[in-house]
Amino acid sequence: MPRSSAKTTASGKPGGGRKRKTPPQAGEPQLAVETLARAGERLGMSGDDISRILGVVDSVAEEAQATESVVDKYKADESALIQVLLEIQRRNRWLSGADLATVCERLGVPFGRAYRIATFYKAFSLTPRGRHSVSVCMGTACHVRGAPRLLDRVVEAIGVKPGETTDDQKFTLETVNCLGCCALGPVIVVDEEYHSNPSSKELDSIKRACD
Amino acid sequence: MARLKSPADLEQFRQGLRSGRDPKKPCVTICSGTGCHALGSDKVSEAFVREISRNGLKGKVDVRRTGCHGFCERGPLVVIFPQETCYLGVKPSDVSEIVSETLSANRLVDRLLYKDGDGTKVQLEDEIPFYKHQKRIVFGNNTLIDPKSIEDYIALGGYSALSKALFEMSPDQVLETVKDANLRGRGGGGFLAGTKWETTRDAPGDIRYVIVNADEGDPGAFMDRSLLEGNPHSVIEGLIIGAYAIGSHQGFVYVRQEYPLAVSNLQIALEQARKHGLLGKDILGSGFDFDVVIHRGAGAFVSGESSALMSAIEGVVGEPRPKYIRTAVSGVWERPSNLNNVETWANVPLIIDKGSDWFKNIGTEGSKGTKIFSLVGKVNNTGLVEVPMGMTLREIIYTIGGGIRNGKKFKAVQTGGPSGGCLPESLLDLPVDFDALTKAGSMMGSGGMIVMDEDTCMVDVARYFTEFLADESCGKCVPCRAGIEQMVKILNRICEGEGKTGDIELLEEISEVVRAASLCALGQTAPNPVLSTIKYFRDEYAAHIDEKRCPAGVCKALVSYYIDADKCTACGICRRECPVEAISGEKNVVHIIDQDKCIKCNTCYEVCPTRFSAVRKISGEPVPASPPPGTQVARAKGKQE
Repeated sequence: MPRSSAKTTASGKPGGGRKRKTPPQAGEPQLAVETLARAGERLGMSGDDISRILGVVDSVAEEAQATESVVDKYKADESALIQVLLEIQRRNRWLSGADLATVCERLGVPFGRAYRIATFYKAFSLTPRGRHSVSVCMGTACHVRGAPRLLDRVVEAIGVKPGETTDDQKFTLETVNCLGCCALGPVIVVDEEYHSNPSSKELDSIKRACD
Repeated sequence: MARLKSPADLEQFRQGLRSGRDPKKPCVTICSGTGCHALGSDKVSEAFVREISRNGLKGKVDVRRTGCHGFCERGPLVVIFPQETCYLGVKPSDVSEIVSETLSANRLVDRLLYKDGDGTKVQLEDEIPFYKHQKRIVFGNNTLIDPKSIEDYIALGGYSALSKALFEMSPDQVLETVKDANLRGRGGGGFLAGTKWETTRDAPGDIRYVIVNADEGDPGAFMDRSLLEGNPHSVIEGLIIGAYAIGSHQGFVYVRQEYPLAVSNLQIALEQARKHGLLGKDILGSGFDFDVVIHRGAGAFVSGESSALMSAIEGVVGEPRPKYIRTAVSGVWERPSNLNNVETWANVPLIIDKGSDWFKNIGTEGSKGTKIFSLVGKVNNTGLVEVPMGMTLREIIYTIGGGIRNGKKFKAVQTGGPSGGCLPESLLDLPVDFDALTKAGSMMGSGGMIVMDEDTCMVDVARYFTEFLADESCGKCVPCRAGIEQMVKILNRICEGEGKTGDIELLEEISEVVRAASLCALGQTAPNPVLSTIKYFRDEYAAHIDEKRCPAGVCKALVSYYIDADKCTACGICRRECPVEAISGEKNVVHIIDQDKCIKCNTCYEVCPTRFSAVRKISGEPVPASPPPGTQVARAKGKQE
């Protein structure tokens, strides 16, 4: 059955390393190109479009499932609201409206309260974050050692401002207030790898190293 | 491991651990704190495991990954016991030599030792000036303990203070001891911990809570993180003792989710403590029940404020509330709740173990014990330092910190994070003491100590903190929300060369209102960075406003860069590095910066070799006219003539 084979694709790689809104990766079971093309013909779309839609459907289903299991883990305790949202954010890299609604329904809290928390704390994002996170430390020690100039270089290299995600969902740029490695400052962290005051050229190679 | 059901069980377990450990057996400890981790300590410890087994030393040498040692500047740090040989800046490629030389042949690897100013090599960690002048009573065990091992902690005497408190002291005696020790809160205000405990104990109600504040949000401060990551049991032990004194059976640790290692080490530690009967029901057979829940903060500076933190524990937005009734009386779910910071809790077992007189012997009249500072910024030896209260700022910065980087001149030291202030050179002989720092217009805060040199613009620093606070203000009360925002506007204006006469006075006026009328400590202390910089560096503000000049050359709108035609050798480095291609020139031709294209990123200034120093940064004066395009460089001209 074609749908179920697409499902294996997504559920075959649980956890955070999953790519969003991208066609199935090479080397994994895929729907036959021919099947997609024929489905596309019937719907007036290209096979690629169909494949992409199926990918989105899968990731939505998977996110919803993750949300449910997190709520289960915290035994639907109202006071665990922030902890539940943190874990969903970590797993899905964002909080969708649907996720918030599910959490509120299961914990019995008004939607407004969850929305307020989701917009109050820095850890939460109401839009999908990129696959690679780039954090520029703006702590005081880094600031006096030239963090603003480093941030300019990073913005130049990635092409988005702090808080934004690149159109291809590859990078999300953020500023953080202290990473606690002041001896290396000014410092940026790309996917948990620390880099001390990289030059524009070094930034280019760091960027290239991200798939 | 069976549960420990009595003090005798604990002692027997400890003796068992100690007798099983040969103090002469070599042990390689590798710092795995955040700084060393970032510098690659993981790979170093992997290399040690590999090399030790390759040299046939498996089983003969222990390898231990410990918490932060403090000397982050020179990481990754490796200390080899029992000699306590300390190697700095160890790379994976150095490991095979350390194993074959030091571990197998008992010879030193000279190049990895600390070198004094005159080139003398120092073998022992304690003899390195950075450590020698510290007093590491709270932080010292970090270097000896694997934070994931309760055995390490117990072998060093851990949980003996808890046993003493539960079996040899009444809750009142514990409280009196802490009160008598004059332990003041290490998180910011310096409130007396014993008095706070007493308020919570005496408050009406059956259920009381004790809480660890590990929401360390001050930029530039990371001592609480390093304690929690490196020695979590010391914090837990302090918390249980406090709970016993106060009569609480439920504790919380509120820790930032930005500190994943602290969260996981704490989780492991709590689990181990439960398994050993040191947490949970009937602790050590005393009949006292107590357990702890971890709450992760989701990233909001204001959530470190006590009432905000307690709201967050309840699962609502972490905003402060008016404190007509203190949280010690009505906190989490309106029950009496005692909140202390990580470092404060970690001091408790020491006080119970060694007595209040011992503690009172350290420090000044009003501030007892030690304080951990994160010494960062433009100082040579960056890292965490623990010093007795009363040591002067000068001793910390120069004797321990090794002075200012690159031979620059000291300008200011900022203490107390965004709520603190900047102190000038004339106050360097001020002792670190809660009251002395507050009197000087700064504060102890949680212990950030950021050193600034002549290249730091004090107006920019004030703007930095004020922007930070504007961003972190929860917006609940008007003076903080609107006041800080107006201050940012004025400071931005000054930094951009649009400052007006009267701006300084306006800043002072708004500061007074924000300070007096804000709801919580965030707003009440927010003007400190501005007021202290105005107080000590008013001339810098004046230079920005009246002369449109940034004396430190930091404020972009007020600086320009040009290339000194007499000094340029046309080496081309600046031209290649310029990110916007604003520099023109070719071989033997003087390079010129196109002022219209220049984004003032400072790159050319940084990359121009110091032996040429041809790129000049100026402020408050017009850019000299460029030489005509095609002008030959001086050296080439000389050759032609």
